[in-house]
Amino acid sequence: MSTELDVFVGNTTVLDEDVYQLWLDGHTVSDAVRIRMEAGALQECEANAEILHSDTMDQFRTFQMCERLLQSPSKVANQLLFQIPPHHQTMLIERYYEFDSVFAREVLGKKLSKGTKKDLDDISSKTGIALKCCRRQFDNFKHVFKVVEELKGPLVENIQRHFLLSDVLARDYAAIVFFANSRFETGKRKLQYLSFQDFAFCAGQLISYWTVGAVDNMMEDLNVDLEKEFLHDLKDLKVLVNDKDMLDQHKSLVCAQLRGKIKVFSEMEASFKNLSRALVNIASKLTHTKDFRDLFIDLVEKFVEPCRSDKWTIGDLRLFLKHYSSSVRMLEAFRHQVIWDRYMGVIQSCILKMYHD
Amino acid sequence: NWNCWRLQDATCAWFTLSSLLDILTCSTLSAARSQHSLFFLSHNLSSSSSHTYTYDPVNPCVLMECVPPCSDRPGFGEETPGVPLSSGPPTPLRAQTFSSFSPSKSYSRQSSSSDTELSLTPKTGMGSGGSAGKEAGPLKVFLRQQTQSALEQREYPFFTLTAFPPGFLLHVGGVVSARSVKLLDRIHNPDEPETRDAWWEEIRQEIKSHAKALGCHAVVGYSESTSICEEVCILSASGTAAILSSRFMQDGPLDVEHRFEEVVSPGCGFCHIPYDELNIPFPAQLTYCYCCRRYKVPDVLFTTIDLPTEANVTGKGCLIQARLCRTKKKAQGEGNATAISNLLPFLEYELHTQLMNKLKLRGMNALFGLRIQISVGETMLLGLASATGVYLTALPSPGGIQITGKTPSDITYEQHISNMQKKINDTITKNKELYEINPPEVVEEIIGSPIPEPRQRSRLFRSHSESSDEVSELDLSHGKKDAFVLEIDDTDAVEDIHALLTDFSIPAGFYSCNTEIMPGIQNWTSAIQMFTSVRVFRLNTNLTNQGLNKIFSDLCENLLKSLYFKLRSMVPCCLCHLNFTVAIPEDELIQVAVTAVAMSFDKEQTLENGKQSGEKTLIKAITDEQLQFSLELNAETSSPNPLSSPKGLSDVGSHPSARASSMEKASPLPEGRSRSLRSNRSYSGSSVAVVKMTPLSFIPGAKIIKYLGIINMFFIRETTSLREEGGVSGFLHTFIAEVFAMVRAHVAALGGNAVVSYSMKECVFMENPNKNQAQCLINVSGDAVIFVRESELELTSVQPQSATTQTSNGGEGT
Repeated sequence: MSTELDVFVGNTTVLDEDVYQLWLDGHTVSDAVRIRMEAGALQECEANAEILHSDTMDQFRTFQMCERLLQSPSKVANQLLFQIPPHHQTMLIERYYEFDSVFAREVLGKKLSKGTKKDLDDISSKTGIALKCCRRQFDNFKHVFKVVEELKGPLVENIQRHFLLSDVLARDYAAIVFFANSRFETGKRKLQYLSFQDFAFCAGQLISYWTVGAVDNMMEDLNVDLEKEFLHDLKDLKVLVNDKDMLDQHKSLVCAQLRGKIKVFSEMEASFKNLSRALVNIASKLTHTKDFRDLFIDLVEKFVEPCRSDKWTIGDLRLFLKHYSSSVRMLEAFRHQVIWDRYMGVIQSCILKMYHD
Repeated sequence: NWNCWRLQDATCAWFTLSSLLDILTCSTLSAARSQHSLFFLSHNLSSSSSHTYTYDPVNPCVLMECVPPCSDRPGFGEETPGVPLSSGPPTPLRAQTFSSFSPSKSYSRQSSSSDTELSLTPKTGMGSGGSAGKEAGPLKVFLRQQTQSALEQREYPFFTLTAFPPGFLLHVGGVVSARSVKLLDRIHNPDEPETRDAWWEEIRQEIKSHAKALGCHAVVGYSESTSICEEVCILSASGTAAILSSRFMQDGPLDVEHRFEEVVSPGCGFCHIPYDELNIPFPAQLTYCYCCRRYKVPDVLFTTIDLPTEANVTGKGCLIQARLCRTKKKAQGEGNATAISNLLPFLEYELHTQLMNKLKLRGMNALFGLRIQISVGETMLLGLASATGVYLTALPSPGGIQITGKTPSDITYEQHISNMQKKINDTITKNKELYEINPPEVVEEIIGSPIPEPRQRSRLFRSHSESSDEVSELDLSHGKKDAFVLEIDDTDAVEDIHALLTDFSIPAGFYSCNTEIMPGIQNWTSAIQMFTSVRVFRLNTNLTNQGLNKIFSDLCENLLKSLYFKLRSMVPCCLCHLNFTVAIPEDELIQVAVTAVAMSFDKEQTLENGKQSGEKTLIKAITDEQLQFSLELNAETSSPNPLSSPKGLSDVGSHPSARASSMEKASPLPEGRSRSLRSNRSYSGSSVAVVKMTPLSFIPGAKIIKYLGIINMFFIRETTSLREEGGVSGFLHTFIAEVFAMVRAHVAALGGNAVVSYSMKECVFMENPNKNQAQCLINVSGDAVIFVRESELELTSVQPQSATTQTSNGGEGT
């Protein structure tokens, strides 16, 4: 005796958000049933395992049928096959494009290509995320990347318009696209402590202040390439460390401001020149693709780690960076104030975001 | 099979196994003889047994009258008390003018009533193109054509309608039904309809004579169906015998006010017996009506129609199903037909026994919307009876169920019995609470059962049980109430009682019925969800009847449970118009398809709300005669031309915003309202209009302003890549979703925003997994309509009156 066929179709598509999540997480039907039972689904409506199984099957089937549509979300609202209430449409799309930040962290900066796709097995076993789920997330990244690659205009808005995602999620996707496009090095051991959210924040900063789109949002093609002219101009900042007077003056200005205000004053005083040199060198080398890709590793190695070994607190660091960047204004000989502010604004917030254990 | 049966009063038929055997023998003997009579249309003597069964070889129908069950009748079987079948079973010999019988050329498998001009009224009138007055339209036509006398002269005074204007049904007699087993390969000219017409003719005559026997001149809620397996075909027809108001039959122009003036009937009128109490056609226990105390009513009433709007009902109703599965030997041709017809009476009788027991168990006394399906397969017969049980205030309170054992000496056995008895009593008490059945206590007076010295209780026997007299010594009445006696005489009986008790109770917040509406629920919200669910179950071979029964019953129960679970987000809600269809697509396969609509309602029944919703849906049991009168009057006057008020359609057409918001509100979830802002925004971005679908004739909280015509679509889908499409379930799931989508698109293309009276008439599914193939045929139909929300109507309407007058349309008709 067995149920040969069992379907339930509603005129309005019946969706259960919890089951949808289980499906998205790549569970098999029997796994999903077990999880639902553990979550206490049996208490509802006098259900039993059989009912739960049948319901789960139906829902999984529905989601599978919807998947095709979800891959181009604008179609969800215009298709005829499923009558889905608008708020459910939004939910379906949003959840479909949501991803695990652990997974995104692994893929971040990698080329979204077949080669990487082959690594999904490893990522799956490393992160504990089901392979099916990894594939979906990876395909989503790739898909979003492909679509927005060709589009003009601001990245986040493009993603939002084409994938009908929420602002937060669209920003995360923008970060992924940005990283995939710029191919930043994120996989080094020293960078492992950084989460996806750290990188996403940095990406947001870079997109907002350093890219072509930040200046002119009607540029051709993907506007997440950094502005070449700006990178070139960064070389001018070298004067800050090359000119010995300027460096000393800068140091004394910062020290005057911070005396008595931070605990690590003496360490700061000792390492000021090294730190300043590190930041300015990073800036001056950004025109080289290789160095550009190493932006984060450089920041960590040359700035974050020295501070950490001197046991700076985050408050100390914040104060230091604030005065370090603002006291440049008082250097009369320095004429690249605008470039400096644009550079330091981003670097400052990135470092603060990255400065944790 | 050419055996003929007339099973009188099946719900309480008091036949014993021996008498059944008698009949069986008779009928089997007559089988050979009667075949000739059928196919050569020669006429044998129509003979009838002296028992309640009469068999008529000429008229090969299994016939069943489900009438109010009787009180106990000792000594029944000795003679039939005054069965008014003096007219005798009809024979095909009777000179007939097939005037109303148009030959149908279509060689349809399913000879539905639409094949022939069976019902004299236009069937529903709703699909008739631009005819706007959906309710009054057909009625008007009908009134013009019909007079009372005309009705009586008419060959088939049958109505397929199931809902009528108040006052139209004067009396309801009970269910009449007829069945006939035929061999399709015996048709000489399969392309010509003559033979099939003759078959239906016989059945209709049978129905007509049964209605007559119940003192009724018309049959309402009439339907016909067939079940075919290989060359064997079971033709079935059933309806509700009734007496209709002559006022509606009068010729001449509609004089609404006069017609209704004197018809105002209290909510109990239709319950009053139509037959002569001294010449009662079957044993029945009559009491004075509990409402008016003037006329007599039976103790139980079975009908195929919807609950009349004016009916006084206590508490809420619920879906009651009887399910039965019987194995049968594989056979060919005549042998097969004989085997089937030998099984049929038992099947029907047990179905009725189950229905009656379940009805009692719920403390109810009437069934509406009764639909019995018999499906035939190679090795089994399936029977599924669905109905909505209610407590009619006019009818007496049902007694309990008493079970007795056969061997009272055994102590442990006795204990077991008393345990079960306790369980049953507990269940009844629990159900009465659940369905809010607490009728006012009244002094009972039992009157005029024509049987001498009636014992004041009724007994209930299982068909296989032998009659036994021991029980007669026991005092089984609860106080003054009568108890049904269930005798446990074998293991089967124990199983049956267990099955009775194990029917799961409906989860909190849910109600269910197979009629249009649920008595006692008025304030529907706009959240509706129509759905179709199909299950196919593969059976093991070599199952016993008991095993099969259990499986089939579990299948239906689980399906229902599954529905409740899936729709739990809509509570409190009611599954309305639960329409089960069973089929045996292959040997060892059982297919059950359900189409229904889940409708949410507000639990809080504020006074203010009560009035409004009553108007909206017309389901309120109206006690105030004046209100009932004016309401109906309004409906009548406005419905001939509901568009006469300039609002409504024109508004919807000219203001896209109004239209848009009405669609936006069509969000099926209860929380739709709170999300209306968001959904509105999304709607503007979408080109897809929301189309509501419902098997009911109305949409809660909305007014149908235009009927756009009937939708009747056939779809056939085949796949040669079954596995790739997710197996049979994936294939059918997609297909049904696509069928819905196509119906919606079709309606949207006509400018409509809803389908009412939707039904899936056919769902034939075949598979061949080895070949990776499957085929499916689906036939759906319904009426495309434009509706507007009542709230919007009130907003846009200049004449607030028109909104109220027209609302009453939505609730009625079929």
